[in-house]
Amino acid sequence: MLGEIEKLKAEATASLNQIRTSDDAENFRLKYLSRKGSLAQLFEKLKDVPKDEKPAIGKLLNELRNALESEFESVRKKVEAEKSRQSSKVDLSIPGRRRYVGRKHPLTQTADEIKRIFISIGFGIADGPEIEDDYHNFEALNFPPDHPARDMQDTFFVKSETGKYVLRTHTSPVQIRVMENNKPPVRVIIPGRVYRNEAVSARSYCLFHQVEGLYVDKNVSLAELKGTISFFAKEFFGSDVKLRFRPSYFPFTEPSAEVDVSCFICGGKGCRICKYSGWLEVLGCGMVDPNVYKFVGYDENEVSGYAFGMGIERLALLRYGIDDIRLFFENDLRFLNQF
Amino acid sequence: MKISRNWLEQFVDLTGISDQDIASRLTMLGIEIESFENFSEKYKGFVVGSVLEAEKHPKADKLRLCKVDIGGEIKSIICGAPNVAVGQRVPVGLIGALVPHDQHDPEGKPFKLTRAKIRGVESEGMICSAYELDLGDDKDGIMVFEAAAPLGKSLAEYLELNDTILEVSLTPNRADCLSHLGIAREISSAFSKKLAIKKQSLSESGDSITGIAKVEVIAPDLCPRYSARVIKGIKVGTSPQWLKNAVEKVGMRSINNVVDATNYVMLELGQPLHAFDLSLIKGKKIIVRRPLNSETKFTTLDGKERTIGPDMLMICDKEKIVAIAGVMGGMNSEINSETADVLIESANFSPSSIRKTSKTLGLSTEASYRFERGVDPNLTLAALDRVTQIITETAGGKIANGVIDAAAKKFAPQKIELRVEQVNRLLGTRLAAGEIKRQLDSIEIRCEKKSETVLTCSVPTFRGDIEREVDLIEEVARVYGYEKIEDSLQTKLAFDTRFNETDATDELKDFLAGAGFTEIVTNSLQLTNVASFHTDNFVTIANPISEDMAAMRTSLLPGALQTIKLNLSHGLKNMKLFEIGRKYLLSDKSQTVGNFSERNTISLSITGSADPLSYDRKESEFDIFDLKSEIERLLRHLKLDNWDFISYDNDKEYKQSLKLFVNGIEVGIAGRVSEMALENFSIEQSVYFAEIDLSEIASTKKKINRYQPLPKFPFASIDLAFIVNLDTPVGSLMKSLKSIAGNLFRDISVFDIYFGEGIPEGKKSVAFSVVLGSDERTLNDGDIARFIDNAESKLGKEFSAVLRKQKS
Ligand SMILES: [Zn+2]
Repeated sequence: MLGEIEKLKAEATASLNQIRTSDDAENFRLKYLSRKGSLAQLFEKLKDVPKDEKPAIGKLLNELRNALESEFESVRKKVEAEKSRQSSKVDLSIPGRRRYVGRKHPLTQTADEIKRIFISIGFGIADGPEIEDDYHNFEALNFPPDHPARDMQDTFFVKSETGKYVLRTHTSPVQIRVMENNKPPVRVIIPGRVYRNEAVSARSYCLFHQVEGLYVDKNVSLAELKGTISFFAKEFFGSDVKLRFRPSYFPFTEPSAEVDVSCFICGGKGCRICKYSGWLEVLGCGMVDPNVYKFVGYDENEVSGYAFGMGIERLALLRYGIDDIRLFFENDLRFLNQF
Repeated sequence: MKISRNWLEQFVDLTGISDQDIASRLTMLGIEIESFENFSEKYKGFVVGSVLEAEKHPKADKLRLCKVDIGGEIKSIICGAPNVAVGQRVPVGLIGALVPHDQHDPEGKPFKLTRAKIRGVESEGMICSAYELDLGDDKDGIMVFEAAAPLGKSLAEYLELNDTILEVSLTPNRADCLSHLGIAREISSAFSKKLAIKKQSLSESGDSITGIAKVEVIAPDLCPRYSARVIKGIKVGTSPQWLKNAVEKVGMRSINNVVDATNYVMLELGQPLHAFDLSLIKGKKIIVRRPLNSETKFTTLDGKERTIGPDMLMICDKEKIVAIAGVMGGMNSEINSETADVLIESANFSPSSIRKTSKTLGLSTEASYRFERGVDPNLTLAALDRVTQIITETAGGKIANGVIDAAAKKFAPQKIELRVEQVNRLLGTRLAAGEIKRQLDSIEIRCEKKSETVLTCSVPTFRGDIEREVDLIEEVARVYGYEKIEDSLQTKLAFDTRFNETDATDELKDFLAGAGFTEIVTNSLQLTNVASFHTDNFVTIANPISEDMAAMRTSLLPGALQTIKLNLSHGLKNMKLFEIGRKYLLSDKSQTVGNFSERNTISLSITGSADPLSYDRKESEFDIFDLKSEIERLLRHLKLDNWDFISYDNDKEYKQSLKLFVNGIEVGIAGRVSEMALENFSIEQSVYFAEIDLSEIASTKKKINRYQPLPKFPFASIDLAFIVNLDTPVGSLMKSLKSIAGNLFRDISVFDIYFGEGIPEGKKSVAFSVVLGSDERTLNDGDIARFIDNAESKLGKEFSAVLRKQKS
């Protein structure tokens, strides 16, 4: 019996060292440690051992079983660890799962930039209706009824039996609403959608978006307006842009100006975009006309102020080098995904 | 408006000043020059030629082989015009010349003449039509000049086109610049040149005008001044070449020597004029009045019958209307080939009256355009003398002695006080009184010092736009130069906090872009049928550009579907889109403006695959729960927790339709777009769309959330599964569980829905994970067992639900 134990011990220890795979481990377990394995068979033979030898042999067998089991367990763990190390080798060259990527519209991105610049110098943001009454869209902005200035903006009229309503032709009526409801000083920009009754083409659409600005306070001057617009233009177009203020006419400002920036495409030498003039028209502005103060109940001797207005589409066209305004409203994702 | 440089030279010496200089300086004075064209340049390489021979081309019936003498040199030219004939004097383009229009090009693009062989025969130039030369619309044949046209002379010189034409874009306030004189006046100021206005000296040789014609102004409110002269014994005929050239090159049509003369003086001085055939004026009396009730129709000289209104001003004789004042004359008194005696009207009319009339009639003329902007009332006599002189020079006749001048009053220069301090305050300058005076003086505004700090300015009557001190300040700035005013930026860095209540729009756009949605911006004008598809309370445009933009949008759905349609056509199938914009409805309550309600609205559209281009996941199409998931994500982001989706019947726009309520208020809809709606856009794949009223949910967003102490005791998560009937709404089970949990409720989610094998026919198993917690203590087994017992019995009663298994 002792000889058998020694033999099993030697044999099992040798085959334990041979275990490489989990199959080997399972075979080992079946052969030596299972209920019908070699070790169990030896325990079976214990009953035939003479009574006085039983304790000593039993102890030997138990020691052998404990030793084999513990050694087997550590070998099995090693094999398993190796196996999982092998199996966790994944192909990292497979690309990630592709998900939807969202974007803001280029008009929104442009408006955001304009807002950021003006908010940084203390402008608030105001808002107003797109369907306007004649009073706010024209009359209070010093467009008298039957005045040729009304021809400057082709107007959509809204069907109504109760009054004269239009789709606002500019964001300027919100100037009136802001001043009607707030005592000076006021300093706001007003982004929003406006409408013009013009045939749709690459250069014009039936609607577009403007950002209006208004600053009324004591002693606001044309010089201040120029400074503000210059600050904006340098922030928006880059610090080396040159500006040109030309006298112009808007009924609600006096004096009025159109502002051109030097063409950043040709550097002022003249190209197709600037119609060979070297200048790009970007916005209109001026000092708030005293007649407007009368309509909103401000005292023209107490306050002065400026207003300006720019087209977001116009600025976006220039900013991105787009040549057809209709692209903004078609929402071709091949277009939108470029910004 | 077109302005001729040569014409300007009559008033101001332009020697040494380039076209570009004129354009730049005027533009910087607020007189925008859009473009200018030099005709000597344009017609370089075109000369007058004489056709010596015109034989048939051997290989083409319609072509002729011509020999053309261009002054000492004979050119062989092939010509296809039917009217070419031997002996004609014609315009000839030589090799290298740039022909302004190609007759065979649909857009009429210019082209350069090159040596060309036409059917085997070489052509050394081209005989041109008026269209090809940009001198008219005639494409049918070549231009033929008078027989005396000098051979070899350059075309520009022969047509007196050795000139530059400036295209001026005028703002409506500068009526004084609607003439060559007006523009010359600006140039004289810009270049400090003297303005020379020649005085006319007429030789009046006829009878006294008072015995020949009379004028009575019955409506002086609409006609402040009416001046007239009479010329007898004229001969109406074609205009001499100089007159014809002058009016044509600034874009007017030549009619005859009398009408051309009136147009010429209008273009020169800015005063619209009208010539009547005196023999057709009954009673030889002009009466300026409003129409009688019986007078409702009048035929203008363009042959159209016009319906006239009671407030329109009419020029009449003793019996009838002869002209619509300031707009257009009538057929019944028109100058014709028989006309011998003419009465010339030089009048001033009320701008707003002329504008109303012109708008009502839908008739805008060169005259009405000027009158509605305002014409100098002191111009009538000068213009009358000028036109009288030209007519007698070109059509003969004797000038009746004297002039009729019916004026309501004297038109004296307006006096306006100008405070030096106010100039500097508004402009941000430090100009001295003397400097200001000098600026204004250069544009004929005379200033006197009233005191050390106040100037009294006298504004000439041709500047009707200057009425107030601020108008003078603008003139000072304009002449001084905006570019000389130094920039200043003192704006204090104080944010105007009254205006920082922006809604959630900006922030939501960032959130949605981050959630994989692409922003779209669509037209808010729609086809009426599209607007009415969603509601009857839509806003209609009275004067739409076209029928497909005759109404305001009532939903953002059509814009989204239009976008999906376009992108599907490019082969793109999977999209997540959002838009934030207004919809416009008629409300039964009064709104900020009228009864128009503008709702700022957010739209979400998803279509195609939920997981596009994934290599190891099945491509699963979006469904309604993806849409709900996006909406719920948005609501959670806005920290709104009290929301509810209620399904409702809508077979029109949506197939699976839900209404969204937040805090009990209906704020939007969501659903799978109906086939009917998709068909209109020929879309063949499912689209899920939601529209949420942003003004409703954004108003609840403004609050700043106060910090809540973190829970002191751990939460318990309990998983429960129930067997219920297939049609039992999961949402109702969740609501019940929530109420059973009472104030221990913390959260609930669904983690499994299953039916089929192992579950009885007609039943489903729904598994929930419920989170319970308490602020006072750790929950014990008893609490949890009590909740499970309650859930089992209540759901059993309410929904015949059977608790399936439990683990905690
Ligand atoms: Zn350029």
